[in-house]
Amino acid sequence: MKKHFLLVVVIVLITSMLFACGTKTEEPASILDKIQTNKKVVVGTSADYPPYEFVDEAGNKTGFDIELMAEIAKRMGVELEWVDMPFDSLVAAVSSGKLDMSISCFNYDEERDKTVDFSEAYYTTEDAFVVNKTFTGTITVPEDIVAYKVGVQSGTVQDGWLTDNLIANGLLPEANLSRYERVDQAALDLANGRIDILMADLVPIQAYVAQNPDLQVVYKGELSTGPINIVLPDGDTTLKAEIDRIIKELQAEGFIDALAVKYFSN
Amino acid sequence: MPKPILTIKNLRKSYGDHVIFEHLDLDVNEGETIVIIGPSGTGKSTLLRCINLLTRPNEGQIWLDDTEITSKNCNEDLVRQHIGMVFQNFLLFNHLTALGNVKLGLTRVKKMSDQAATEKALRELERVGLADKAGHYPGQLSGGQQQRVGIARALAMDPRIMLFDEPTSALDPELIGEVLEVMRKLAKDGMTMLVVTHEMGFAREVADRIVFMEKGYIVEEGSPNEMFNHPKFPRTREFLWKITELYGKKKEDAA
Amino acid sequence: MNLNQFISYIAQGTIYTVGVTLIALPAGLLIGTILALLYVYGGKVTGRLMNLYSTIFRGIPPLVLLFILFFAVSKGINLSAFWAGSLSLGIVSSAYQMEIVRGALLAVSGDQMKAARAIGLSRLQAIRYVVLPQAVRLAIPPWSNEVAIVIKDSSLVYALGVPEILRRAQLIAASSQQYLLAYLSAALIYFLLVFLTTRLLNRLENKLAIPANP
Repeated sequence: MKKHFLLVVVIVLITSMLFACGTKTEEPASILDKIQTNKKVVVGTSADYPPYEFVDEAGNKTGFDIELMAEIAKRMGVELEWVDMPFDSLVAAVSSGKLDMSISCFNYDEERDKTVDFSEAYYTTEDAFVVNKTFTGTITVPEDIVAYKVGVQSGTVQDGWLTDNLIANGLLPEANLSRYERVDQAALDLANGRIDILMADLVPIQAYVAQNPDLQVVYKGELSTGPINIVLPDGDTTLKAEIDRIIKELQAEGFIDALAVKYFSN
Repeated sequence: MPKPILTIKNLRKSYGDHVIFEHLDLDVNEGETIVIIGPSGTGKSTLLRCINLLTRPNEGQIWLDDTEITSKNCNEDLVRQHIGMVFQNFLLFNHLTALGNVKLGLTRVKKMSDQAATEKALRELERVGLADKAGHYPGQLSGGQQQRVGIARALAMDPRIMLFDEPTSALDPELIGEVLEVMRKLAKDGMTMLVVTHEMGFAREVADRIVFMEKGYIVEEGSPNEMFNHPKFPRTREFLWKITELYGKKKEDAA
Repeated sequence: MNLNQFISYIAQGTIYTVGVTLIALPAGLLIGTILALLYVYGGKVTGRLMNLYSTIFRGIPPLVLLFILFFAVSKGINLSAFWAGSLSLGIVSSAYQMEIVRGALLAVSGDQMKAARAIGLSRLQAIRYVVLPQAVRLAIPPWSNEVAIVIKDSSLVYALGVPEILRRAQLIAASSQQYLLAYLSAALIYFLLVFLTTRLLNRLENKLAIPANP
């Protein structure tokens, strides 16, 4: 996902320097003014990353980020215009002013921070290892799980983490990883003893464990994703303040946790 | 003395240090057929290209009638209309039919109407005996036929003088005759012609004057009788003897 | 989602693929032909300039030019992703098309030019009535190659978020997890576009062919 990222940044930096000389007149006011004047916010996303952002059967964008952004726009009192773009191009598009902001499961990243700003984290994806109560082993570091049969929902960030960090380097034999279409199928196999450990998103799996006393969480940590933020234009403190304010509001209201349960629990 | 159509004075052409010819003088009179002979690399073809300004001479003047065509302010496109050129490799326009080849100059240079151009072009094709091939493309014609179309294309512009640059040397021996026949007829009709060729039979029979060129100089010129029977210079005799031998043999082989 | 829906979702991107191609290709042809004429008949200095143009734009990956035009240059002029993409591809293609036309002109030129000038045609007339008509015919086969390249390169505008075939395949692959099917569908559509176009140009070539031309 990072292949073209550096390239884009370098090009944008060089050429915007070139063109800045000719076109710079005065420091523009906050993008927030533009958004409010136009009654429209232009937001970029790479709609190929379920369940955060993806297209449904009708070809419409949907997902955790998508629904969250819709609520943010609503609270800003403006219309929301989506622009789909490959992940690699999003930061460049925000930094060059093609987009007002971008929401696409972005982690904070020092390189990216040089050309854009980040909002407060609106969600922290914590991962959990869940076991059957009869499980006798101990998991102190995540790598301990390689001794067991592991299950995960196919195509999730957890699947990605396991594949990149344990399968790719041979720590966990491919045969010992079972990929399930849905988390509840995996949980069922866990209860039946077909797998020893289930890796899943913490918030939704906790809700599941609460109703299934046979299971318990033995480890939690920010493995796969960590905090995710909205990418904002560089140095636009007014806009950042407004977005941060709304994010905090939504967190306090429990809106975001509700979204997490909706999108991360099956 | 008949009035010269073409007057060449003190002409010099060189590429860098390599002199093709220099101090070259030649008059061509109205209705005259001059055949230029000489070993290859002597500058005969370059001379023809200088005359119709496809190449610029370095020094000297050329007059066509009363116009000095080598002068700077002379319109070369206009000059070329009055000087017909026939190339060794025919150089027909490959994307046009025989008729189209002959017509192009008429419609685009002489600005004739399409109908008038077609009529004239057909007459010119008739003149070279190819009216029935008007619709054929160059690729569909034999070499001899292509060269005759080339002649018709030049004739169509009603030139004051026709230049022939080894018109038969790219042809198979059995196709040479038809081209020479057309040229013979032209000469008889009074066309002024300057012909570079190795066809000694043609030279002997048709030329009013033969010019022998060697190493950038005109060695000798005279009537065919003088040149073939009483050449002044041993070099001329030697060349004529060789070339007749060579080309005479070639014809016997073909026959 | 059934197969029909699936493929039709991807196929809807064809309009962008065709759109980008229909802008980039003629733009490249127009610019390329003019530059090729300048290159061949414009004298030494112009020739060098044209050579420089060709070297630069054949040396830049289309994707890089695309980013420059979209992210940097269009800060001033507000160029949409679609137009930025089409124009970049057009510019890159113009350099290649210039070389194609130049090659064809050179192949025809020389003797044909000489013969045309000999009957009194001006240089421009000779180019227009003798050289170009033949050069066009010679240029069709390499040009049809370039057409195929532009059609395929049009997929690059996906990087700017233009919802063309490739981008749609990515989106639907991500949401359905049917990666193979999605990309095979995209490949099939691209293949059909290229196949049909080259077939068409093949026909044109045969139709314009000069009878018995060596």
